[in-house]
Amino acid sequence: MWLKELLKNIEKNMTKEKRLKKRHNAEKRFRFYGLASIFLALLFVLILVQNIFSKGSSAFMKTAINVEVFYDPELLGVKNGATKDEILEADFFDITIETLLKTFPTNNLDEENQLIDLFTTDAELEIKNALINNSNLLGKTVSLEITSSDDIDQLHKGNYPRDLPEERRRISNFQLSIYDNFLENKKIIKNFNNYFFKNGDSRDPEIAGIGGALVGSFYSILICLLLSFPIAVLASIYLEEFAPKNKITDFIEININNLAAVPSIVYGLLALQILLATIQLPRSTPLVAGITLALMTLPRIIIPCRASLKAVPPSIREGALAVGASKFQSVFHHVVPLALPGTLSGTIIGLAQALGETAPLILIGMVAFVVDIPSTPIDPSSSLPVQVYLWSESAERGFVEKTSATIMMLLSFLIVMNFLAVYLRQKFEKRWN
Amino acid sequence: MSDIKIKSKNLNVYYGNKQALFDVNLDLNEKEVTALIGPSGCGKSTFIRCINRMNDVIDICKVTGNIEIDGIEINSKELDVVSLRERVGMVFQKPNPFPKSIYDNISYGPKIHGKGESKNELDEIVENSLRKAALWEEVKDRLNEPGTGLSGGQQQRLCIARAISVNPEVILMDEPCSALDPIATAKIEELIDELKKTYTIVIVTHSMAQAVRVSQKTGFFHLGKLIEVGKTEKIFKNPDNKMTQDYITGRFG
Repeated sequence: MWLKELLKNIEKNMTKEKRLKKRHNAEKRFRFYGLASIFLALLFVLILVQNIFSKGSSAFMKTAINVEVFYDPELLGVKNGATKDEILEADFFDITIETLLKTFPTNNLDEENQLIDLFTTDAELEIKNALINNSNLLGKTVSLEITSSDDIDQLHKGNYPRDLPEERRRISNFQLSIYDNFLENKKIIKNFNNYFFKNGDSRDPEIAGIGGALVGSFYSILICLLLSFPIAVLASIYLEEFAPKNKITDFIEININNLAAVPSIVYGLLALQILLATIQLPRSTPLVAGITLALMTLPRIIIPCRASLKAVPPSIREGALAVGASKFQSVFHHVVPLALPGTLSGTIIGLAQALGETAPLILIGMVAFVVDIPSTPIDPSSSLPVQVYLWSESAERGFVEKTSATIMMLLSFLIVMNFLAVYLRQKFEKRWN
Repeated sequence: MSDIKIKSKNLNVYYGNKQALFDVNLDLNEKEVTALIGPSGCGKSTFIRCINRMNDVIDICKVTGNIEIDGIEINSKELDVVSLRERVGMVFQKPNPFPKSIYDNISYGPKIHGKGESKNELDEIVENSLRKAALWEEVKDRLNEPGTGLSGGQQQRLCIARAISVNPEVILMDEPCSALDPIATAKIEELIDELKKTYTIVIVTHSMAQAVRVSQKTGFFHLGKLIEVGKTEKIFKNPDNKMTQDYITGRFG
């Protein structure tokens, strides 16, 4: 009998120990899973960032070739001491060809063409601009850095395999020998690629830039902010503080949540039908993009805005009412200021999403090839994410690095905006704690 | 001393389908402290929230019957609830200072009612209110610091000062000491004693001892009904009702 008791006791103790061990093991396992998932997530982010950086960072530099330009007034068709206007009128084609051909001896027309192809199609413009900036150069010989063609640029950056057989290369053996000669004479220089920030889109990668896309994105987001922020804030204040709680407001609330989950391309279709087809707003413009993005962003701002209003303790409202504040006063003197940090960070994150939105903009025609930088919101324009999309489809090697560099720009804007959101929230919430 | 300030007649309150108060008839005397006691959920707080119509905030709450202050019906539609709350201040269970400076906490009420046109007048109101709430000495050097940085007891006195700042006639206190330690509680009770010279005070409390200490009149609520009301001394020494007896001796509640 006592033996049975003893055995039972031992078993009981054993199971207790076992259970304890099991519990500890469960916790250990959970910690391990958690750590593993974090590491995995970090790994993916690192791979992404590394990939974008390794492809994109070279886009911030461009390759240029040092050439000697003789600004021959006779060839330009202007007299010595010509004014700026006269220089603007002049034809720089002949002087450009002459300058470029001087850089390497050629024997026939084909070789001449191959030589000229080593320089950017904008060489003429660069030579012209140098003279416009300093008209004293007329009649003198100066050395200029002319941007190289995309092929030479990529070759110089090491993105171009030169050991392919000639017929599979875009660069001929003759061009390679010129390149080697330039390299030997230290005529090839790498400098900061200001075109990338300053220029609009182009068919030629070496002169294509995100200037137009930057301005387009800026206008779009500005219009989006101006439209969505006041509407969203007022809507959330009304819904949260003033609206009666009934079936209609419930219905509205559900649908706001639904709208926030609607795929963005649907907003693009809506804009296409209503803004472009019916109201006939100008196609491909930041104005239409801004309105479309505002529609999309509205529910995404209303939700955090309502959440931060809801987070203000009811005791604050009661305190205000109890000293005789009206409903309006209690809301606008007390609740709204307290909800502001949450509202602002919600807005910024909503705008950050809008900044990265591509699909609706493609539908409203921002995918059009726009070379000019828009000066007003009703000029045709591109935007950063659409520029990424456009360039990622282009065949030229130079666009590969430009695509990644544009993504880097876009990501840095997003990171800055998100940091701003966190900063605002922390700064204003700390004040009273 | 026994002028009736507030008179409730057949007051019924409903939260949706649930009735929270049943035909409450209660007279509150001017410049006296009336304590309302009773177990949780018995309707004491609901009752005092009727006096400044704080129940208006709750959508599903419906009030029938009458409450008169100085003979004027306050449940009528014509009565402006803002001016009612200017006359009937309230202090809540949990101290709820605005997350603003101590000064702004007090000056907010006078400002929205257009009292204290100049900075000097406002300064005066703030000082007077804080003095009446026995807080002036403790905070006079840091009026610009946030009110939420004070201790719990100080915060509650700040809330009392805030209620006083608009110079009300009645102050409603909904368990003002339930979140405070005994020392802070003692201070508030002292303060209530002082305030009753100027104001009519209604206090909801769960502490019998507190009711005995601060009030002249006590009402006992149970399940939404006013069971018994009378002089505090009488209620606690010799109540008429068996239930009151049971409650104050701690047999239930």
